[in-house]
Amino acid sequence: MRPSCSSRTIRANIEAMAVTIYTTATCVYCRAAKKLFSEHNIAYTEKDVAQDAAARSEMIERSGQLGVPVIDVNGTVVVGFNEPKLRELLDIRG
Amino acid sequence: MYELVIIGGGPAGAAAGVYAARKRVKSLLITEGWGGQSEVSPDVQNWIGIKSISGIDLAQKIEEHVKAYAGDVLEFDEGSRVVEVKELVLASGSGGPKFTLVTNKGKKYETRSILVASGGRRRKLSVPGAETYDGKGIVYCATCDAPLFQGKEVVVIGGGNAGFESAQQLISYATKITLLEYAEEFRGDSVTREAVLKSKKVTPITNAESVEVKGEKFVTALVWKDRKTGETHELPVQGVFVEIGSIPNTEFLKGLVELNKYGEIILDHKTARTSREGIWAAGDATDQPYKQNNISMGDAVKALEDIYLWLQKKKSTT
Repeated sequence: MRPSCSSRTIRANIEAMAVTIYTTATCVYCRAAKKLFSEHNIAYTEKDVAQDAAARSEMIERSGQLGVPVIDVNGTVVVGFNEPKLRELLDIRG
Repeated sequence: MYELVIIGGGPAGAAAGVYAARKRVKSLLITEGWGGQSEVSPDVQNWIGIKSISGIDLAQKIEEHVKAYAGDVLEFDEGSRVVEVKELVLASGSGGPKFTLVTNKGKKYETRSILVASGGRRRKLSVPGAETYDGKGIVYCATCDAPLFQGKEVVVIGGGNAGFESAQQLISYATKITLLEYAEEFRGDSVTREAVLKSKKVTPITNAESVEVKGEKFVTALVWKDRKTGETHELPVQGVFVEIGSIPNTEFLKGLVELNKYGEIILDHKTARTSREGIWAAGDATDQPYKQNNISMGDAVKALEDIYLWLQKKKSTT
């Protein structure tokens, strides 16, 4: 079993991560991604690109994508709900 | 050893799970996710008993219902996909077939029977430019991405229900929507079709074959051919919404059960049995012609009834 101090360190690292998700209200994969974050107590910033034109331009420019979700984890851009990739970047196990 | 493994968590798989648990058949349900292909539908209006519900809410209700039976009789392996099924070679008189299943995560299960409810997945556009511009103007989820096409001109490929639903969502955002159908006539429910076709933003074209997606960084045009005259046209668009049907998820069954030329599982529709004893199927993975949530559920229940009788008979003879 992992010593508790080490678990705390990992949690602290996750809390220090900056996660931004670009969404639309009707996007099912966006909801799935947010559910994953919530289940693992990962704080995130949500930008609704249907409502916010500046966020839309920002997303398109950063990702080269015309589709949601786009998720930014500490500067790494993930296109779509790529669960394995997100789990790796966010250090989610199990 | 399970008595039954259910593959899939759409309407068919979930219905089978509920019935299996109520009959106390020791079962495992393996699924990547819940709700099936309607998950992305903005508004399901033909789910009997509920006048209107979003696909995602329907998926959640289905998940909640089947999980109400979670326990020692019904177990789940979620987020997994079956990649291999094999029949074990057994000595005669050992009580009928046994199968092993392997998931994409390397888990292995043994079972006496299998219900395949693996459904279908979206057919992707295969013309030149389709791969290059996937996610760069080509869209497979109108519900998700229609708002990104505010003030743009778009084309919807596919004049069935899903195509009309996509066009309907785009009416709120796009300035011009061309709807292309390959066949002579549009398909789809009259209710949705009429609502879409009365919009001045929508231009419907039949006998239209998509030929190429052109673009720079993002999509700039769709080239299509008039199947009657042979003439090609270049349509300036920023969005290409693709709704050209689905492909059955049956690759992992090749060589084990009989499939038709579309890859659908050939069934005995009275019992939902496949060509191999011990394997049943229901829903969009099968050669049942009408791909509907309500039908998938009913067909899975029918399969489960037959599976139950079969298992009882096997038990009494061993």
